[in-house]
Amino acid sequence: MRPVLLILLALSGGLAFAADVTLPDYERVVLDNGVVLLLSEKHEVPLLGLQAVIRGGSMADPADKAGLAELLATVMQKGAGDRNAAEFAAAVAGVGGRLSVGAGVESIDVSAEFLSRDAELMIELVSDVLLRPSLAEEELLKERERAIGLIGAAKDSDPNGLMPYYANGFLFGAHPYGSPTIGSESSLARIGRDDLVSFYADHFGGDRLIVSVVGDFDLAAMKARLTAVFGDWAPAAAELPVVAAAEKSAGGRVLLVDKPGATQTYFWIGNIGVDINYPRRAELDLANRVFGGTFTSMLMTELRVNTGLTYTARSVINRRATPGSVTIRSFTETGTTIEAIDLAVSVLGRLRDKGLSDEKVASARALILGQFPTRLETASSLANMFAFLEQYGLDRSYIDAYGSALEAAATESIAMTINEVYPGPDDLVFVLIGDADAIRDDVAKYGSVTEMSITEPSFKPQ
Amino acid sequence: MSLFSELRRRNVIRVALLYAVASWLLVWIVNHMVDGLGLSPWVSEYVLLLLAIGLPVALIFAWVYEITPEGLRKGVDVDQTQSIVYKTGQKLNAAVAVLAVLGVAAVIGEQLLPEFEPPPPLVLEEIPLKPVFDFSAKAEVPREITSFNLPNGLKIIVWPDHDIPNVVMYNFVRAGGRNEYPGITGIAHFFEHMMFNGTESRDQGDFDEELEAAGGANNAYTSKDVTVYQDWFPRSALETVFELESDRLANLAIDPDVVETERTTVYSERRLRVDNDNFGRLYEQMYATAYLAHPYQTPVIGWPSDIENWTQQDLEDFFKTYYAPNNQTMIFAGDVTPEAIYLLADQFLSPIPRQHPPPEITTVEPEQLGARRFTLEADAQTPLLHVVFHAVAENDPDALHLELLLTVLAEGTSSRLYQALVETEQTALDISAWRSGGFDAGVAYFAITLPPGGDPAAVEAQLLDMLEDVVRNGVSDKELDKARNLRLASFWRALQTIDGKASALGNYEVFTGDYENLFAVPEQLATTSAADLRSVAAKVFRRNNMTVGVLRAPDDGGAE
Repeated sequence: MRPVLLILLALSGGLAFAADVTLPDYERVVLDNGVVLLLSEKHEVPLLGLQAVIRGGSMADPADKAGLAELLATVMQKGAGDRNAAEFAAAVAGVGGRLSVGAGVESIDVSAEFLSRDAELMIELVSDVLLRPSLAEEELLKERERAIGLIGAAKDSDPNGLMPYYANGFLFGAHPYGSPTIGSESSLARIGRDDLVSFYADHFGGDRLIVSVVGDFDLAAMKARLTAVFGDWAPAAAELPVVAAAEKSAGGRVLLVDKPGATQTYFWIGNIGVDINYPRRAELDLANRVFGGTFTSMLMTELRVNTGLTYTARSVINRRATPGSVTIRSFTETGTTIEAIDLAVSVLGRLRDKGLSDEKVASARALILGQFPTRLETASSLANMFAFLEQYGLDRSYIDAYGSALEAAATESIAMTINEVYPGPDDLVFVLIGDADAIRDDVAKYGSVTEMSITEPSFKPQ
Repeated sequence: MSLFSELRRRNVIRVALLYAVASWLLVWIVNHMVDGLGLSPWVSEYVLLLLAIGLPVALIFAWVYEITPEGLRKGVDVDQTQSIVYKTGQKLNAAVAVLAVLGVAAVIGEQLLPEFEPPPPLVLEEIPLKPVFDFSAKAEVPREITSFNLPNGLKIIVWPDHDIPNVVMYNFVRAGGRNEYPGITGIAHFFEHMMFNGTESRDQGDFDEELEAAGGANNAYTSKDVTVYQDWFPRSALETVFELESDRLANLAIDPDVVETERTTVYSERRLRVDNDNFGRLYEQMYATAYLAHPYQTPVIGWPSDIENWTQQDLEDFFKTYYAPNNQTMIFAGDVTPEAIYLLADQFLSPIPRQHPPPEITTVEPEQLGARRFTLEADAQTPLLHVVFHAVAENDPDALHLELLLTVLAEGTSSRLYQALVETEQTALDISAWRSGGFDAGVAYFAITLPPGGDPAAVEAQLLDMLEDVVRNGVSDKELDKARNLRLASFWRALQTIDGKASALGNYEVFTGDYENLFAVPEQLATTSAADLRSVAAKVFRRNNMTVGVLRAPDDGGAE
């Protein structure tokens, strides 16, 4: 059985790829109450991967209660059905399973992976979490304190891990994408049990649910069971939130997050980019691969290989229902902050001015195609992909036609994409975490500087 | 004229009989409808009630009225000479007979026919969710693994798996922090960088560029015991991989200019992972304190002054000794055949000469004579508490027992320590525990993050109480089962991908001496007892065997 096929043809003068990467077949069932089931059997190993997606997510958080969806997701695992928190955790681990609930910007996801002999238990636990969470007050208080404490711990040990929250907050401002999914120390403190209960009532229900299961099971039986378990679930009380597209940021501006004594500066440079339906996806993927997506990228070559300024530098394109961010991320010793940022900006300028050589594009195309089959190798990764396509209303051509789109991407089309998506040198938003005393004066040349301390209980300057 | 004969004449008796027979038949039909069509049971109860009410009505009706050629008349109004009650009686007799025959036939038929099968109920969860996979004890992991040695001592292991058209290569080089000494700490990790920085015929970066152009990706990691190189590629890139790997093993250029740039890159990595990361800083100090003699004491990234000062000669000597074919093991998993691998290996790798084996590491960490502790003052909102105990090497049978024990203690939110410290006492934000151990005895490592203002001494006391409890009382069968199931699930998870297969094969081959030991894991799990876990707890969790490190903000008023 070959769920993913890639036919490689060796042509004269080098390798060219006639790509035929396809998704394995899966069955899509829509129940009367709107629940969508996505099912596919896979029997190589005795495992089951399940991905349940509740459309909504942290974009439905009230403005002053960032982190509500994520906190709800955490507390949902702390007791559901007839089990209290400890019993629930023991039921999952007792059979060697994994079950987690987490909030993203546009969905709350339940991910489960169990040995296939425990399919009954997996469905029971997942449905308990979704349909019958206890949402106990004492669990909320405990998890709220813990979430606040863990943000503090990350400020000590992993400031770079917090960069997206500072950066999105500064870039998107009041737009829902600017709200930190994990919340902030101050916003979490404002969340009570009533907030959890009303978010659950408003944003959980059959009309919001996608359940995707792949692995070692019998499809008819799984379909029947999921239909019985979720087929009666009433719709969510509120409408699915819709967000407007964020406007690109004009001009230069800087957020400087002071971490006194830091020996290196973590930096982020970006602006608003494109949404998930952006038509020239293949062109953009190729461009970003060459710009900052591999060991041999333009950013890595300049910032690491040629200058030794950093250990790693990369660019990331975040695509959501509406335009997300286009970003460059790296870090460097405090004393070389300006040198490294200037270099990153000049590499971005070169990308926009000069475009990409055909040779680089061919290499990026080979790499994307060559690695593609490994992205759909496990039951869980397939379950996630099916759910992702459903969530964003994409059809299987998103995968099946991707290889030929990569093949067809022409140089001019890539150049046009680059200038459309990557921001110009005058319209850059900078976010830096580092020792402000050492760099404050020098970063003013990038635009108006807003400063805050890393110890402030929020990811946005007050 | 007796009442009875008048009842008879007016057909009341016959009507009663007919009513009884018809009722019996009706009840029989209704009951079958209740069973067969899923009607509610109250339907038959109501029918019975209605029939009971109807009986007196029917009898009174029969007494009072009489059927005449002109229609229904009251009996008293009928000219008795014209009465046809006799004929009506005959009709009633016939009806009783017909219904009785029908009823008897239905009852007999019911016995003769196959039992009535109601349509399947709509209660769908009755369908069992059974795995297709064979979970019986005899079930084996499907595998056709081949291994061979080249004449120069390089061992190659091949696990063909044609599920996707891709291949994974892992090259395990037996060189890590363990092979270093003062002056060259960090040098094994430095080579992990230098191996991508050019050969006699290829410039810095060419390795990555050629591999990527062929559709392949790569990475590498260094531990205290080994340096491991990984390539992930479409099968069409197989020859390119052999060409690139053999070139850097045979002809590595250690260009002094490149060495200088790479020193600063490694320093940047050190700042990221150690100097600007409270966890990384404490972790480094833990090993430096727990080990007095054995080279596991040195950080894999290297001490700063060594990163700045190792010499060209140090680099050349290290490479020649440790990157010899007889000091490496290569694994291929994926869409390949052993024959193809053998032919390419013979062509590209056989010419690389064997070297004298590296010096053996003979230092054994002496028995620890008393608990060690230190405090690292740092800018920290959340204090950290790390506790380690000297433990066992990877090939020790107790390695699996210790792993299961640490699973019971600290894996996941249902574990003992998480439940006690994070859930119940709320004296910790998070806890994790793991076993390190390679060629030589490693440690059992506990890492605890405290909430802001938390008291490390109190948490340490709680931890030690709980470790003493497990030494004294062991673990429950339920806890043992849980740990075994978690380990079994991770065994299968690893075998889901060609990457997991290559990694697992290589680690078992290198650290236990035989990759086949990987497949003994399910059986070993089944035969592990709670007593095994208690015995390893008693062996490891001793106060004299312990090192405690605390990282926290300085006290007000300055350092201690």
